[in-house]
Amino acid sequence: MDLLISFLVCFAVFHVAMVLSAVCTWIERKGSALMQDRIGANRAGAYFDTPFIRTDNLALKPVAFLTNVLVIGPAFSVIRTLGMLGVINTLLCDAVKGLTKEDFVPEGTSRFLHNLGPVLATVPIFLAFAVIPVAPNFTLFGYHVRPQVAHLDVGALFILAMGSMAVYGVAIAGWTGNNKFSLLGGLRAAAQMISYELAMGIVFVTIVVVYGTLDLYQIVERQQSLWGIVTQPLSFIILFIVGMAETKRGPFDLPEAESELVAGYFTEYSGMKFLLFWMGEFAEIGLFSLLLTVFFFGGWHLPFLDLPAGVWWAALIGHVILMTKVMFFCVLQIVIRWTLPRFRYDHLMTLGWKILLPLSLVNLMFYAALKLSGVL
Amino acid sequence: MNLLFIIFAAIVVVSALGVVLLRNPVHSALALVSNLVGVAAIYAMLNAHFLAVVQIIVYAGAIVVLVLFVLMLLNMKVEALKRHEKIFYTTVMLVAVAFCAAILPILHQFFGEFNPAASLTIASGAAASGAAALPRVEGTVEAIGKVLFTRYLFLFEAASILIMAALVGAVMLSHRVSNANGSSVNSGPSTDPSTTVRS
Repeated sequence: MDLLISFLVCFAVFHVAMVLSAVCTWIERKGSALMQDRIGANRAGAYFDTPFIRTDNLALKPVAFLTNVLVIGPAFSVIRTLGMLGVINTLLCDAVKGLTKEDFVPEGTSRFLHNLGPVLATVPIFLAFAVIPVAPNFTLFGYHVRPQVAHLDVGALFILAMGSMAVYGVAIAGWTGNNKFSLLGGLRAAAQMISYELAMGIVFVTIVVVYGTLDLYQIVERQQSLWGIVTQPLSFIILFIVGMAETKRGPFDLPEAESELVAGYFTEYSGMKFLLFWMGEFAEIGLFSLLLTVFFFGGWHLPFLDLPAGVWWAALIGHVILMTKVMFFCVLQIVIRWTLPRFRYDHLMTLGWKILLPLSLVNLMFYAALKLSGVL
Repeated sequence: MNLLFIIFAAIVVVSALGVVLLRNPVHSALALVSNLVGVAAIYAMLNAHFLAVVQIIVYAGAIVVLVLFVLMLLNMKVEALKRHEKIFYTTVMLVAVAFCAAILPILHQFFGEFNPAASLTIASGAAASGAAALPRVEGTVEAIGKVLFTRYLFLFEAASILIMAALVGAVMLSHRVSNANGSSVNSGPSTDPSTTVRS
């Protein structure tokens, strides 16, 4: 039974990651269309006649009528609405297209490493979800359920470790592309991720100093009365910028700058392997939104709302609260991506090394001093 | 647990061989990554979560990334490496023999008579019973932190000073190189004046 519960928890957390990345894909496609005054994906699944059941048999006519009104009519109007909103296009058609496309491997490179690239870029991101609590602990039918795959006492560090492993995916992808554009994209991505990881690590240290624990569940519980954004606003700003840079999106998308590098490190990828990079990217957006919520916005806590601990419906409400906050940050990141122009490369490096890194160090010193003097 | 240990130990050994035997330096670097991650997994099985995560962050996540970065920048040809093959392999063999000679007394101290089968049993047994045998301290991070900042404080500070000196040395070296090239390399028209090297 314990094994079944852990399996279900794994399934649920993986589901959270997949749904976050799917919803982000849809928001990116349709939201960017809205922002640019386009219509966006609205064709696939939107225009077709509802296949009503017709019959000449008099005895079956009432049955057919009821089925038509109660099942087929509503079901197909839902499908049509989804089609008009572009959901079918972005989530179904693109996936089918990716799976059925030719799998192209450039000449003169290792097929194994070429396949390994997207896997290494995606898997660590999904692994990092393992230490994130997606809801408060609860008891159901006498079984104690902890909605967190791995309850590590080094949870925050595990996320850093997985973030640093994701560098290999883009570096290998750039290298196996076997052309200048891919290689430049891969090198840019690796340099950018290494540079911003330093500031991220120091912000993580600050968070650990303030909350006194590395366990993400404990960090959430310590914000019950006061959210982290009130106690450490600068850490939030730094982590938000670093998160945008680590996902290689928004104003930081130099590794895939389409005006100079075709598509950067995944130029030579096609079909599902190309889509895997996208999935990893959107899962990373979801991951960073979850982290920001867990570190600074109280996770499943809302001010003036005291949910009873350990009850399943309270956990469900907590999960909805958490996911609402996460969706807010996902949308915010996508809006920023479609609003700000791209950085110049030296500006990017200056921001990382000369602004964010010293700023995060000062921030760390400040909170360490506060902690030592007993204020926190 | 025992099965997991054997799997991870096999990964460690095979990838370590890969680091040495693979022709392409990039492939070797990637084999090194898998080796380090395998070692981290064995640490994690011994309940040393902190050590495992730090192993991944520092070695797999930072050092080998830089190695790979340089290898990709240089884009070495395998033919270029073959030229010095003989000297290279002689040196490697000598270093390997010296290392084995240095490590044998320690192995002897641990396992007594050298017996590969027995040592494997001991090691896998330690990994398997790690969760039960080790005293469950209140978070291994706290335990390591306390030991590091009390008993080994001097060594810790000495190591940090050493790393700091290396850092300053690296900055000085790159300073000298860019000065020798003249300032024209660094101060293009688009470069911010504050980022160029002064003096």
